[in-house]
Amino acid sequence: MARFFPLDVTDIRRETRDAVVVTLSPRDEDRDRFGYIQGQYLTFRRDFDGEELRRSYSICAGLDEKILRVGIKHIDGGFFSGWANSDLKPGDVLEAMPPMGSFHAPLEAEAKKTYLAFAGGSGITPVLSIIKTVLAREPHSDITLIYGNRSISSIMFREELEDLKNRYIGRFNIIHVLENEAQEIDLFSGLIDKEKCRLLFDGWIDIEAVDMAFICGPEPMMLGIAAALKEHGLRDDQIKFELFASAPRPHRMQRQPVTVKSSDKGAVCQATITIDGTTKTIEMASGQSVLQAALAADIDAPHACTAGVCSTCRALVLEGEVEMQTNHALDDYEVERGYVLTCQCHPLSDRVVVDYDQ
Amino acid sequence: MSDEMTIQSYLEQGGKLTSPDNAPARYRGELMRLMASFVDSELAGAAGFADCINDGPGITERIAASRIVLEKLDHGERVLKLMGDFGADTLRYASHHPWTERVARDADIGAARHGADMRLSVFHYPIEGWIDSVTMNVLMGTAVTIQLEELAGISYQPLADEFRAILPRERRHAELGVEGLRKLLADNSEKPAIEASLAYWTPRVAASFGHAGSKRFDALKRFGLRSRTNDALLAEWRETIGKLLAELGIAR
Repeated sequence: MARFFPLDVTDIRRETRDAVVVTLSPRDEDRDRFGYIQGQYLTFRRDFDGEELRRSYSICAGLDEKILRVGIKHIDGGFFSGWANSDLKPGDVLEAMPPMGSFHAPLEAEAKKTYLAFAGGSGITPVLSIIKTVLAREPHSDITLIYGNRSISSIMFREELEDLKNRYIGRFNIIHVLENEAQEIDLFSGLIDKEKCRLLFDGWIDIEAVDMAFICGPEPMMLGIAAALKEHGLRDDQIKFELFASAPRPHRMQRQPVTVKSSDKGAVCQATITIDGTTKTIEMASGQSVLQAALAADIDAPHACTAGVCSTCRALVLEGEVEMQTNHALDDYEVERGYVLTCQCHPLSDRVVVDYDQ
Repeated sequence: MSDEMTIQSYLEQGGKLTSPDNAPARYRGELMRLMASFVDSELAGAAGFADCINDGPGITERIAASRIVLEKLDHGERVLKLMGDFGADTLRYASHHPWTERVARDADIGAARHGADMRLSVFHYPIEGWIDSVTMNVLMGTAVTIQLEELAGISYQPLADEFRAILPRERRHAELGVEGLRKLLADNSEKPAIEASLAYWTPRVAASFGHAGSKRFDALKRFGLRSRTNDALLAEWRETIGKLLAELGIAR
């Protein structure tokens, strides 16, 4: 199960009008847990009006900076990012899980590789960590960044990237592509899509020399770039993705009021189960778990261990009251939202409504 | 940037997901089921082969069998770690089930999951002696290679990365099986036992490819968790095994 540790906020720097860069320091006893690989992210949790929110933000520091730093861009309607951009201050404490993520390639000091990186907006954060680390740890490798933003003023880490370019002359290049601003060269305006990539690979980038590509941005951008890279001969294992879910997900469950009726445990219960958009109402025999009842009714509910350990059978209870016999997999915050392990879940009310789709 | 796109539509167009945060509920369920099936098969497979190590006629054979056991456990552990990212209790998971448990040799459980774990049905049958472990390893090792080639392209990038790293080692396990089989065939008197063992395992390994026209396949394909049908993978396996056995001069 997930474990969170306190991180002290030691610095906050405003990066653009709607983005901040937050420097964090783990407690001495947790320091080893927060060693990271370039390109990884931290997952934070915080209570907003009694409801826990979790959000992940990528580390933007390079390995040799020996600091923990994330970039947080304010997303419209985003509670956590809005709060971080307006209220978070040095001295505050954030709770975070140790770094996670596999958006990286192994470092080899002797390697002479050519990397190509694509970032859209705040997708630059893990890419910046990779760029800094590769430039420092692989002195014979080079890297080109294609970086899409709405306008010059929204470019995160613009100065830092310029400094890197000057420090690593000939090994690091940047191509800025701006959506809303006309540039001297048409190619550098608009969106980074498949067509744009084709044109860039035509004259500006020697795509045949590329050993590895990194892409971090919204979904359509990632699809377009990946398609163009594959068209030019890159294999799946040469393309690393990091997806930023572009739309903020609903932060409050739209839960219907829970109706609890007097229960005679062991009596037959009516269960309404939704999966893949199809809803079926079944009678549950006494002693059956929700999962057992679903499977008996020929509902193809996901499951594996049936011991409350793996969480494959997780579903959301929308109505009714249930109890879980064992839970080794769901966090408290998931349980509070109404998630259950259906293999361990027995109704206490006469009626339950369970949804595997949420 | 025009970045409005549903995760479903992104996946249908070949998009990759990169962390548990990205995964919609049903995707999560199917991905977990797929990972559990792999982990359970590796743990149960390793448990079955472990008992055969001492049956190896020479030290080389026992080293090969030990290596297969060691690496299958390692592969199981790697994928179980990814299940841990979704909340699974990895310590409890590894010991929640008696992985050495087997059904009777002549039981018929078809392709169905059996009992409380998700191992492929073939791993429920007991291996009997060295010849049996070699032929089973040749047949199943080849099947695993074909199944992993399919799964190395799936849409959950951390798992695809692991499968790509695991694939050459599982392929090597199958090759070790073929080397073992060649050695056994040097002694002509072993041939009937080898053919009997192949006849026993062939339908059971074939069943591990799952049902033809599986209802779940379309959903998995939309999620980018599968691309070729069970039938297509099974046909490739039959062809590969057919060529191999013909080359070795074994009747089926």
